Amino acid sequence: MTLDRLKAIKEEALAALAQATDDGGLRAWENTYLGRKSEFNTLLRGVKELSPEERKVVGSTGNAIKQELIQSAEAAQSRIASVVVQSVSDVIDVTLPGTGTGAGHLHPITRIEHEIEDIFVSMGFSVADGPEIESEWYNFDALNFPPDHPARDMQDAFWLGETWGKKKYLPRTHTSSVQVRYMERHKPPFQIIIPGRIFRNEATDASHEHTFHQFECLVVGSDVSVANFKSVAETFFTAFFKKATSVRLRPSFFPFTEPSFEFDISCQLCDGKGCPVCKGTGWLEIGGAGMVHQHVLEAAGFKRGQYQGFAWGFGLTRLAMMKYKISDIRLLMSGDLRFIRQF
Amino acid sequence: MIFSYHWLKELSGTKKSPERLAEMLMAHSFEVESVAQYEHGLSSVVIGKVLTVEKHPGADRLRVASVLTGKKDTRTIVCGAPNLAAGQKVVVALPGAHLPGGIDIKEAELRGVKSSGMICSSKELGLGSDHTGILVLPSDAPVGKDFVHYAGLEDTVLDVKVLPDRSCDALSYQGLAREIAALEGGVAPFLTSVKKPVRLRKSTKVPKVSIKTDRSRRYMALLLDHAVMKSSPLAVQARLVISGLRPMNALVDLTNYLMLETGQPVHAFDADAIPAGGIVVRLAKSRERLLLLDGTTLALSKDDIVIADTKKPLALAGVMGGKHSGITDKTKRVVFEIASFDAKSIRRTEKRYRMLTDAAYRYERGIDTERPGEVAMLLAQYADDWGIGQGMAVRDVASKAEKPVVIILEQTKLENLLGTKIPLFQAVQYCSWLGLSVKKVPNRPALKVIVPARRPDLREPEDLIEEIGRLSGYHHIVPQPLSLPAVPPARDLDKAFERTLKSTLAAMGFDEVMSYSFYGEKSLSQVDLPKAEHLTIANPMNPDQAYLRSSLFPGLYRALATNAKYFTHFSLFEFGSVHRNEKTGPYEEKKVGLVMFGPAEDSDTAVFLRFKARLDALFGSVRTNVVWNEMAAGSFPAFRPGRVAHLTTTNDGSSLGFAGEINHELSRRLGSGTKAYFAELSVSVLSNHAKEEVIYRDFSRFPLAHRDISLIGPKSVSYNDIEIVLAESGKPLLVAHELFDVFETETEKSFALHLSFGSADRTLSGEEMDEAFGRIVEAAQERLGFRLKM
Repeated sequence: MTLDRLKAIKEEALAALAQATDDGGLRAWENTYLGRKSEFNTLLRGVKELSPEERKVVGSTGNAIKQELIQSAEAAQSRIASVVVQSVSDVIDVTLPGTGTGAGHLHPITRIEHEIEDIFVSMGFSVADGPEIESEWYNFDALNFPPDHPARDMQDAFWLGETWGKKKYLPRTHTSSVQVRYMERHKPPFQIIIPGRIFRNEATDASHEHTFHQFECLVVGSDVSVANFKSVAETFFTAFFKKATSVRLRPSFFPFTEPSFEFDISCQLCDGKGCPVCKGTGWLEIGGAGMVHQHVLEAAGFKRGQYQGFAWGFGLTRLAMMKYKISDIRLLMSGDLRFIRQF
Repeated sequence: MIFSYHWLKELSGTKKSPERLAEMLMAHSFEVESVAQYEHGLSSVVIGKVLTVEKHPGADRLRVASVLTGKKDTRTIVCGAPNLAAGQKVVVALPGAHLPGGIDIKEAELRGVKSSGMICSSKELGLGSDHTGILVLPSDAPVGKDFVHYAGLEDTVLDVKVLPDRSCDALSYQGLAREIAALEGGVAPFLTSVKKPVRLRKSTKVPKVSIKTDRSRRYMALLLDHAVMKSSPLAVQARLVISGLRPMNALVDLTNYLMLETGQPVHAFDADAIPAGGIVVRLAKSRERLLLLDGTTLALSKDDIVIADTKKPLALAGVMGGKHSGITDKTKRVVFEIASFDAKSIRRTEKRYRMLTDAAYRYERGIDTERPGEVAMLLAQYADDWGIGQGMAVRDVASKAEKPVVIILEQTKLENLLGTKIPLFQAVQYCSWLGLSVKKVPNRPALKVIVPARRPDLREPEDLIEEIGRLSGYHHIVPQPLSLPAVPPARDLDKAFERTLKSTLAAMGFDEVMSYSFYGEKSLSQVDLPKAEHLTIANPMNPDQAYLRSSLFPGLYRALATNAKYFTHFSLFEFGSVHRNEKTGPYEEKKVGLVMFGPAEDSDTAVFLRFKARLDALFGSVRTNVVWNEMAAGSFPAFRPGRVAHLTTTNDGSSLGFAGEINHELSRRLGSGTKAYFAELSVSVLSNHAKEEVIYRDFSRFPLAHRDISLIGPKSVSYNDIEIVLAESGKPLLVAHELFDVFETETEKSFALHLSFGSADRTLSGEEMDEAFGRIVEAAQERLGFRLKM
């Protein structure tokens, strides 16, 4: 009898609990079903009147039901608390914009420079640096550009108005100016890259700038060859563009390399099949390269024939423009945040 | 250089199409910048035969011709040319024709006579400069045929970029033809074709030549005694036009044609302008004057080579002829000059007067000193063929020829540098295709190569390796990975720091900009930088490139002004080199410049303190403690007085840079009323401590005791003064302090701080703390006139 009644109270209580929507309702429910004078507790207190067998069964079932009701009440409590509407002054409009500064943006040239450095460093290269205002010696003479030679016309230089004794200086026309500087302090074998800002005395338009960024790669050892250059260049560009890229060499002339090459990479857009970007050739002109001229190694203090190696340079600016599809080179030096904040 | 495909084909014997030829040159020799149809600008222009010529009924100067322009096509054309005659073969532009220069031919009535077409002069056809009469063709010209085809103007042009190292041998039709033949493994036909013998005789009638400078190794003077002034053959005119030169008359055309074909500049003098004393090749005298062909008068330098008579200069050697010794319509006798001059000397002269003529361009790149003899033979032959005159006499003065250069090339070196196997016999073959004299060295795998004078670029074994490499084709070389030792690459700490700094600033909300290293007078005066410390550019393209930046401020200010138009608040930084003019040389240093702009709604102090907080966070990230010192007014005019600090490090007191609000004028120019803050910091000072390794120091395990203090006193006292007093009087128990309120009245200001006391070896007693607190209050009273605020 008692057992059946206890079970009936449980069903009734759980149904009533489901109806409770606020703290007041919950407390009234507790009074009705779990209060000292509630039928449930009265029944439980009457257990001691029962036979030992009955007492055992009713006692344990009754306690189990009580625990279940208490737990259900707790669950109901948190359910009720979560739907309680706060007063208006308590609300934070979480749709408001955050205050303070957001994240800044690195310049696209910096981003590309870091990307390139990471690839080369992972290939065992070091990063080197040199001055932007360079002596005529390091920029030209040491690189086998003789005075009064038309090869100097291949790069239009700005020159400083000041001279120191007979020493002339210029904003460097290429990062190759660091070659001999570096070799004066480091004995081969070594492999380095030199990123940096360079200057050419040229008129500016959408694809020409007087100030841009370049990368130099210099590898010197006892048996570094053209075949090694091809491998390093292909490995680098494959990593940079994240797809298999091949390198093509064409004859060229630079005073500081012999043999000298123009080097092209397979077009990234059409994979070498030919498209408007590569003007149907399947190749993109990227930069100049060559085997370091023995006169340059001699200028750095090495004996002729003691070492050999390759050097190549290419436009960091050009790579950034290719990668981000930037159509006007002048944007890079504009300082315009509408441009910078896209990177 | 622009090359006519047909001319190249004739000299080289190639059978390749222009496109295939360009591909081959690109892969093995030179960059070909373009391959294009030659644009002659002519259409509907045919060969006609003048049947009759009659007087025009209504005009004295005009005549009416009946011209046959096709099998059954006879037309009437009104013509004003004085040299028109019946029986001539002429060039007729039919109605509907287009001529160069935009002339369109239509049916027209000229003074009552209908004219259907125009009989053309050379000039109208875009060929010569002769417009005194119509162009008369040889009598065998085929009537009715297309003139463009007949004249050889249907051609393809290749723009080939011959670089300075190969200009000596390849900047000419013969040179490029030789190269093409070599790439195809043959010999150019022009080298082997049998020419009819031309007689060059010595004669005393040729002016005497004396060379009085070592800057000319050879001077040939050729005299043409009875020159005929006429136009050059049509085919010659066509080749000149296609190659980008304008035909003049046969004498001048001959010099240009030879230069294009052989690469040897040839100059023509009026022989009667050379006095009996003959020609002297010498250096100019200082300020000696010379009127040139183009009408300019030069005051010469002692460094210039001139061609002179016994008294005065006649021509600027290798660059341009003189006006008074040049060819005119009245010239009867001509002296042709075929000479060699020192390349560097010509270059200096060309640069000095900015006269990069076709001749100077070739001379400064070096010319083949063995060629003048051959060129002279060719000149005589053409003079004969073109009917300019016969019986060439010559005078030839030359110093001894230089010894030919011999290069020994080891096979191991060849293979080692290219990184590929090349059999010796193949290397021999490539060298011989290039016309080099080559032999195997006995008993070892090496070659002995004798270099002709036309290849001054071949001096070292590597130069030959390039020749062999490019002829065999670089695509044959298989990529071979470098063999590197497994060691970590050396790190350049400054480069690494640059990267940390940039990344930190970007993470803190600064956008990175880059500005030019140059600025002009305007920027300089705008931000009031001292002019004397600046390096200058000697040859700027525009006034904005006059100075090299000594501060990042002008560039950042420009970016600030650009962005102030579009954004209400932003932060910028630039990392870059600045330069200064110093006694020992140009000084260069890396700096980082920072700008914070707005927002306008916040108080100046609030914005400044936010800027300062971000800078301090930056300093913290590179473990540098920095003091912000007040600065005397006017020490950096770009800043607003009283709102600028000199930053020094507490580590060693070195000067880090400046930070503050930009001055009123600069702020006003931004046009928004929003305040901007700027700082410029030395990267080397910032990086000093970042490189140090961290060493852990033990901290006190005993609890800290906290007490607040509120001090009030004179307005002139800065927070820095309070801090100094705290640091000195709080020793040794005051371990930390933190400002939490600043309040100013009309006359006074107060600072409220949390103070923390502690010791490394014990828990402080109440008395100890009271005593320490008392000392601070006392010191503030004594040194700053501050009292406890109740």
